Amino acid sequence: MSGLDWSLKGLGRHRLRTALSVAGIAISAAMLLDMVMLSGGIEKSFAEMLLAKGYQIRLTPKGTLPFDTEATLAGAGNIVETLRRDPAVESAGAILGTSLYGRRGDSLVTLFGYGIQPEAQALYRLQDGLDLATNDTTGVLLSEPAARLLNAAVGDSVSLVGRLDPQVATAVVSRRLVVRGIVGWVYDYRGQPSVGTVLRVMQSMARPTAEDRASLLMVKVRDDAMAPAVAIRLRSQFPRLEVYSVADLVSFFKRRLVYFRQLSYILGTMSLIVTVLLVTTLLTITINERLGEIATLRAIGVSRTTIVRQVLIEGVALTVIGGGLGTLLGLGTARYLDGILTSFPGLPAAFSFFVPRPESLTTAGLVLLVTGFLAGLYPAWLAARAPIAATLRAEAT
Amino acid sequence: MSIRLRQSWCLAMALSTVGTTAAAQIPDVALERRLAEELGLSVGDTLQLGPAADSVSRPAVVSAIYEPKPDPAEIAKRERHVRLHLPDLAGMLGQPDRIDRFGIGLQPGVSPDTAAAVLDRSAFGYRAYTSRAIASESSQTFLVVSRFHRAIAVITIVASAVFLLCIMLLKVEERRLDAAIMRFVGVRRRTIFGALLLEAAVVAAVGSVVGTGLAYAAGLATNTYYRRFFDTALTFSLITPDIVLFGVVLSLALGLVAGGVAAWRLVRTRPMVLWGRG
Repeated sequence: MSGLDWSLKGLGRHRLRTALSVAGIAISAAMLLDMVMLSGGIEKSFAEMLLAKGYQIRLTPKGTLPFDTEATLAGAGNIVETLRRDPAVESAGAILGTSLYGRRGDSLVTLFGYGIQPEAQALYRLQDGLDLATNDTTGVLLSEPAARLLNAAVGDSVSLVGRLDPQVATAVVSRRLVVRGIVGWVYDYRGQPSVGTVLRVMQSMARPTAEDRASLLMVKVRDDAMAPAVAIRLRSQFPRLEVYSVADLVSFFKRRLVYFRQLSYILGTMSLIVTVLLVTTLLTITINERLGEIATLRAIGVSRTTIVRQVLIEGVALTVIGGGLGTLLGLGTARYLDGILTSFPGLPAAFSFFVPRPESLTTAGLVLLVTGFLAGLYPAWLAARAPIAATLRAEAT
Repeated sequence: MSIRLRQSWCLAMALSTVGTTAAAQIPDVALERRLAEELGLSVGDTLQLGPAADSVSRPAVVSAIYEPKPDPAEIAKRERHVRLHLPDLAGMLGQPDRIDRFGIGLQPGVSPDTAAAVLDRSAFGYRAYTSRAIASESSQTFLVVSRFHRAIAVITIVASAVFLLCIMLLKVEERRLDAAIMRFVGVRRRTIFGALLLEAAVVAAVGSVVGTGLAYAAGLATNTYYRRFFDTALTFSLITPDIVLFGVVLSLALGLVAGGVAAWRLVRTRPMVLWGRG
């Protein structure tokens, strides 16, 4: 009989207690997997979102994060030209974000407007129709929610209104634009009605003067590995701007969501403690019940090492069975929990908190296996030090 | 009751410090305590303000340092605030007589919803909100966090329940030999069942008390850590009597059910089997 057979037979003797232990381990394993996904998933998901179009660097007004305030930077065109002349830079573009309104019948609906440079855009993916041309001052791109809100499709005309003045109850700017395409804006929250025009058009709708202002600049460096070094160089080149690499932004984001990371560590640790307690308790009681059997095995020449190995295998087997079920349970609960957290107001729809990845599964599996092994050490030690003669005598009486 | 009107623009403030050279006609500002500490400023010092990073040139004198009211919506942002008199701020922004929002106090008996609707109909370019609507809107984030906590709590309760059932089962099964001996000497099944059930109840009760103590200790540690981490007086972990009651009742009920099931299995087993000779 192999060690595994002996272990499984041992576990099968008390089905109810084994089933309960497996259920407990499965729930703990599910929680552990969820927490491993949560601890690493936030930053990975955020980094992936930032790199969705390959732009590794952002420049924003001093003291602000991208789109965190309505602050803008001046002279955007000149900065973009300077950036584009940099041999390390493959592409650079300016973006202006602002609130504006669309006409629907005789009422106005609130929209979010992006001013973009179509030749260097990192904000959207075309879903239907055509992209804007570089100098297309009569075209507009809509998100699906914006298209629904304005009841517009590709080829239709929409009327956008900017700079409402509450004191005179009039709109300063109104433009009629043709819908060129329907796009998915990478950083939009779920259901956000957004529209995009070339930068110049959006600038004219956002501000009274012909200032060349932008909310942020995005830079694509030719070589990914060079991005941090280019960010440092740009920081000294533009001291009045904030220059962020993806790593910088991930670091800021991690600080904002530090609570979830710490919660994941605490709950993950608690899951491991529960697993250790369950496996150790079950095996200790099982070993105490089987001391006679173990003493007999020792008496007929089975080595102490073999006994220890079999007890450890039993612990690991219990953990593997519970862990297998826990993985399925964990993937299900992760989806449910992700559904809750991604309903945060203003969170980009592309963002996930729980990201199932092979490395998350591997990490959780390995941690669980080591835990199962460690949990078996104490009962294994008990089994190994059982006095043969005294145990057999006690069993016989 | 009040309502607020809000226009959709906000300001960006940039700061730079200069020495302690207070002068007449310079606007007064009040700094948030953490900002004053970070900039090394105290009352009477002068600093420069501006609406953007490239125009930080207006001097202002620190006339007060204040401790902001703890606000859960602000802690993760780590924003720092400066308070100015409205005309000073409007002048600095180059937009005199413009405001971001203002509050309206209504006469008793006037419905805020009706007043907001009337204001919304009277002009466009602003939006009127009741205080309740703003509170509801701004608490959305915490509602999500609350839902997440509830989901985690359900998983934790299920895990704890299974753990408790398992431990109780093992605990009762440990008494197989005792039960066998009691059966051999003529103790009735009902008595053994009652004794085991009582034992399970005592274990569950002691566990509940210890667990409650642990929860208070964990709550204390959580509050101490996060208050220091975020430099705030907010309460992060709050253990209410309702929560304690729920936890104690649940663990007692689970302990009794688990103990009862295990004891029932034990008393139904023949004594020789319990003795290991069946």
